[in-house]
Formats: sequence, C-alpha cells, structure tokens
Amino acid sequence: MAQFTRRQLLGGGMSAAALALLTACASPGMTSVNSGALIPAAAGEKVTLTYWSWLKDLQKVADIFNRAHPNIEVRVSWIPQGNAGGYQKLYSALAAGAAPDLGQIELRTIPEFILVNGLVDLSRYGANEFAHLFDPTLWNQVSYTGGVYGIPQDSGPMAMFYQPAILEAAGAAAGTTPRTWDDWAALATALRGQNAYIDCFPLADSSVFASLATQAGAAWLRPEADGWVINMTDDATLNTARFFDAAIDEDLVETGFGAYSPAWFSAAASGSIASVVTGSWGDALVEGVGGGSGKWRVAPMPVWGETGYGSSYLGGSTAAVMASSRHPKEALEFAVWMTTSKEGIDALIENSGIGWSAAPGVVGSPREVPSEFFSGQSYNQDVFVPATQQQNADWSWWPVTQQSFNILSDGFRKKASGTSLVDSVATAEQQIMTVFRNKGLSIRKENA
Amino acid sequence: MSTVTRPEIRSSSRLPSKRTGAMARAPWILLAPFLALFILTFILPILVAVFSSFQKVTRLGLFGEQGTTSGFAWFANYSQALSDGNFIASIGRMFLFGIVQVPVMIVLATMLALLLESGAARWPGLFRAAYFLPYGVPGVIATILWSFLYIPGLSPLFDIAALVGLEPDFLGPNTVLWSIANIVTWSYTGYNMLIIVAQLKSIPVELYEAAKVDGAGPVRVALSIQLPLIKPALILTGVFSIIGTLQLFAEAQVLTTVAPSIDSQYTPNLSAYTTAFAYNDYNVAAAQAVLIALVAFALSFTFLTLSNRKSK
Repeated sequence: MAQFTRRQLLGGGMSAAALALLTACASPGMTSVNSGALIPAAAGEKVTLTYWSWLKDLQKVADIFNRAHPNIEVRVSWIPQGNAGGYQKLYSALAAGAAPDLGQIELRTIPEFILVNGLVDLSRYGANEFAHLFDPTLWNQVSYTGGVYGIPQDSGPMAMFYQPAILEAAGAAAGTTPRTWDDWAALATALRGQNAYIDCFPLADSSVFASLATQAGAAWLRPEADGWVINMTDDATLNTARFFDAAIDEDLVETGFGAYSPAWFSAAASGSIASVVTGSWGDALVEGVGGGSGKWRVAPMPVWGETGYGSSYLGGSTAAVMASSRHPKEALEFAVWMTTSKEGIDALIENSGIGWSAAPGVVGSPREVPSEFFSGQSYNQDVFVPATQQQNADWSWWPVTQQSFNILSDGFRKKASGTSLVDSVATAEQQIMTVFRNKGLSIRKENA
Repeated sequence: MSTVTRPEIRSSSRLPSKRTGAMARAPWILLAPFLALFILTFILPILVAVFSSFQKVTRLGLFGEQGTTSGFAWFANYSQALSDGNFIASIGRMFLFGIVQVPVMIVLATMLALLLESGAARWPGLFRAAYFLPYGVPGVIATILWSFLYIPGLSPLFDIAALVGLEPDFLGPNTVLWSIANIVTWSYTGYNMLIIVAQLKSIPVELYEAAKVDGAGPVRVALSIQLPLIKPALILTGVFSIIGTLQLFAEAQVLTTVAPSIDSQYTPNLSAYTTAFAYNDYNVAAAQAVLIALVAFALSFTFLTLSNRKSK
C-alpha cells in the first residue's frame, strides 16, 4: 500500500502549495537588493523601462526620450497620486515582486520605501556624478546612510498667492503683502472685519504645518549612527504651533476646509478667502478659481521675524528606481535626462504641469513668460527663484512620515474640542517614538 | 457475513457499486472549479492573514539596512492594535453608527415594504423599482453625489436651510458620521425593502382573508400577521446591516477629500487599510482584520441569540 490515491496526492500537493504560499507571504520587504551584485548596463539589446507616475501625459515626455535613445523604451503607466492609492499599488507590487522599474515617490516618502527595501541605491550606479545638477536641499532629502534613493523630479518652493483688491480693502498698502507672520496676523484681523479669511489652516493635513515649522528652522528628525534623533519640541516648532493656536482661537483662519477643496474654490471665487500660502504648484490650482483672472498676484511668503528662512518647500517628488528593476542603470539615465535636460524639463511643464524644477536656476521656458492670470506678473523669476535660495537645508525625512503626519493631524483635529496645537505636537512626538520602536527601529529624544 | 450470500451480493452489487463510486466522485468533480477558487481566494487568504497576524519584523540600523528578521510574535500585534486608541475609537464609532442607523434603516425598509404590499398602493412595481434604484448606484458614486450636497457654497441645501434660518454643517466633526449614515441609508433601504417584500409575498392569502373576516383593519393586519411572519427577513437584514456597518469603508474614504474631520482610521476597515498600505505594517493590519472579523462574528451571533430568545 505504498501507492497514493489520486485524492491523497491532490491533497498533499494542495497543502504543500498552501505551505509554500504561506511562507512566501510571510512578510514582504525582508531582503535588500542593495547588498547584492550590481546589474550591468544592457549590452546592445533593447531595454524596456516602465514608470508608474501620477503626472498627466507623461508618456509624451517619455516619447521624446525614446526617440533620442533607440535602445531604451520608457513606458508610462498612470497611478493615483501618492497616498490616494499610488503608493498602495507600488507597495503591493513590490510585495508581489512585480513593481515597475521607476516609481514616482514624494521626497517625504523615500525613507518609507527604503524601510521595505523597495528602492535601489543609485549611488552604486553612479548617481553622485549628477549631484551637482540638483538643488542641494533636495539632494539631501534623497540621500540616506551614504546612498542615493531617488532622483529629485520636482519640488514646491512656497510663496503667497493673494488677491490684492481684497487685501487693500482691509487696509493693506497698495502693492504690499505682509512681510512677517505678525503682519499677516494683523491683516487677518482686519480681513475678518470684511467678512473674509486670509487663509485656511488645514487641521487635516499637517504637512503644511511641517513646512511652516521648517521655515522657522525646525528639523524634526535626524539620522545618527546610533539611530534616529527626534526633536519636535524645539522653539521653532513650538512658536509656529503657538502662533497658529492663537490664530485659530481668534478665528483668523478658516479651519472648516483646506485649500483646493471644492468649498475653498467657491470661497476663493467669492472673495471670502483672500490668499493662500502654498507651493509653487499652487499656481495651476489658483488658476482654477472661477473668474479669478487678473485678480491674483504672487508675493514672497511672510517670514518668522529675524529667525528662520525666507521660504520653505511644500511637496516635491522623485523618480525612484524600484528594487525589482532589472535595468537600474538605464532607469537612472532616463530619470536624470527627464529632470535636468532642457527638453525634458520643458516637456514636463508643457505636458504634465509638473512642480518646480529640481535643477537649480532652471525655470523652464513655458514658465518664463509673464502670466496673464496673475496680472501680468513674471512671478516665477521674481518670487519663486529667490524662494528656492532661502531654504532650510537641515530638514530630513524619516521612515514613518505618513503615519507621523496622520498622528499630528489626528491631534490637530482635536483643536475644535480644546486641545492646543502645542500639546498635540508634544503628544505626537511621543507617539511617533512608539511607532519607530514598534517597527524595530531605535530612536531617542534630542538631548535626552 | 455468510459465505452463501456472498456471491449473490457480489453479482448483484458489482455494477451498482461501480456506479456509486462514480456517483460519489461526481459532485466533487463538479464542485472542483468552485472549491479551487474558494480555497484560493477565500480560505487561503484567511489562513495567510491569521498567520501574518502572529508575525513581527524587527530591524537593525536606520532603515533595517543592517538586517531585518521576521519571527513569531505571539499576540504582540494584537496588543498593539488594541492599544491603538484610534482603532478602538473607530470600532466604538461604528457601534454608535450601527445602533442608530441600522434600526432607522430597517424600520424605514419595513414601512416601505408594508406600504407597497398594502392593497391601497398605487403602481407598486414602479415604486419598488424607484426605492431599489439607489442600491444600483455604487457606494463611491453615491458618496460623490451626496458630497456635493454637503459642501457649503455649492449645495442648494444650504440656501434652503438659510430660508428657515438654519446653518447646517454636514461635514463637521460631530455631524459627518450622520452624513455618512444618510448615504448608507439612502443606498441600502431599498435593498432591505426588497428582501422584506419577498417575504411578505410568501404570506398565504388565506391569512389575510381570515383576518378580513375577523374584522381586522390594515394596521392590525400589519402588526399581528405581517410583522410576525416577516421576522426571518428582518433578522436577515439586521445581520447583513450589522456586518455591513463594521465593514464601512468606501463612503468614509471618499468623503475624506471634502471632510477634514474624517481621519485615516475613521472606520475599522479604513484603519486596517491605512495600516497595511500606507504604513506598510501588514502584520498589525492582519491583526486588525482578524479583530474586525471577530467583532462582526460576535455581534451577529449575539443578535441572532437575542432575536431567537425573544420568539420563545
């Protein structure tokens, strides 16, 4: 009776397959490609690269590259933006070993993908040769533990988009905007008399708060040899939190909705929202305000008195090479071409309406003409180019950024029931440390 | 067994025994395509999730670049999920939601069904289809449609409310849950109504005739005949709704874009989704998913026990 019946065999095969699946499914992202052998450049044969991105019409940009590089063909697939579904898709594809060669990943999310061993260390493929072509602040945000994990693709230097007529009706001198945040608060008070808000404070999106704290000089997390060092309760952050605590308490800002929500567009068109401090990519969105042509201008954002920096970055993304790529060298070549060549940048602006170029000093031809919507202003050269030169270069992202922002936002939402932003920041710091430890990462509080 | 009868049995049962063998196999062969898919897409994922919920990844270095290990973690993921205030709050929120929304919806569905099945109803077919129609609208689309009615500055509801001196806030921290409840009720009342209508139609005509002879009015017929006899349908819709409440996802997820007060862990499923795909913590997410399933199981079981006890 050594023979198995068909059913026994079938059953045995099934459970073996189930066991194999179980072990395969254990926990994704356990092995790193960056300790393995280098993958050499393809010799001769034609290489096909896939790029998952949420930029619109990016294939048209890739086609320009494809025409000039007969041995490489880049195919673009559209994914939803970041945490709206794109990352979820990339993470699942990585876990399944079916990720594309390149993925669009925001600067702040790079460390999260490093944590799941999802990215190729491009310094092993010569990325550092191109470092001088990029804004050093942004390059710093893709460089971790001696490696380079993405090619900066766009960013969002911050400035203030405003409606001059509404500010002037509240007493602002013609052609001026608040130079400091204190001036901004004073003008906000005057605007309340006109039944308008100066801006929103997004309780649900703490990344804006993070950018404003960065402007004030904060650097929340820092990688050190012995682990992560956190400091969210420095003066820069707490002063920022205190400032907006007061602004919300005095009803100087709208907290019912955030910028670019349907309610915001309606309020901006009717004049009950006078301005918005946001990234350079906000121009395309502000242009969507009904009947707004000629009513808006752009000015530098307010500063934190004598301390801090002139501007900050809000948003920004990279083209990162995914761990499962079989052609990292070619993927790097495409990413560098797209982000630094004149035809690449111009095509990205024309087709995809991409954010601010990561190459210093490059504005991009379509953005060098005065804007009709923004009252004939050449705001890109006049406002945003200087803004990119006044950045806090110490800021670094960390492997649980999204969760940290959610923790912070959860705290901010309690503002309505009386918890101050200052308290939320302090509580969030503790919770973020717990999250690090739950992930098995070491973290300590600064000076503790 | 006697040796005498043996050949008889053999000869008489030889063919049939072959046939019973084939007959025993037949259902399995016919079921095989279903079973294969069922095991692959249902049983196996559950096993993988339960297995995963007991695993934990530990890392060395800033990003685990000095080594990552995965090991058995006992109930560490469960305790992490249960000590997460937001996850517990989301389950509590769904309790509150269910206690209010499920009865409202079932009562509404029952009333609609009784009205449509009463003799006085005009064009019952048309109204049945009309009430059922929202169920045909996918939850995401329904939420987008309703969200435009909730946004101040866009929605005509605000202008109407202003006429009577009201200033509603459909998306505020305390009201958005009921705005979601409204969408869910709008979507599923018609569906539940249809289940109840089907049960109403199976009530024998003789009962109505007997009631008429006894002089019972429509209200008495509804209370003494229809309601007791549609109880199985009411229990079924109740259980479905309880499970549906705990699995609420799409409505909350879509409304986040217009309602800042909805956080990333607003409902238990949203919480598991965020943990898995935004925080990349599949193990804790698996623990959360198992917990949600256990709560749904416990609730349905309690509901069934309670409703059965009452009937005795």
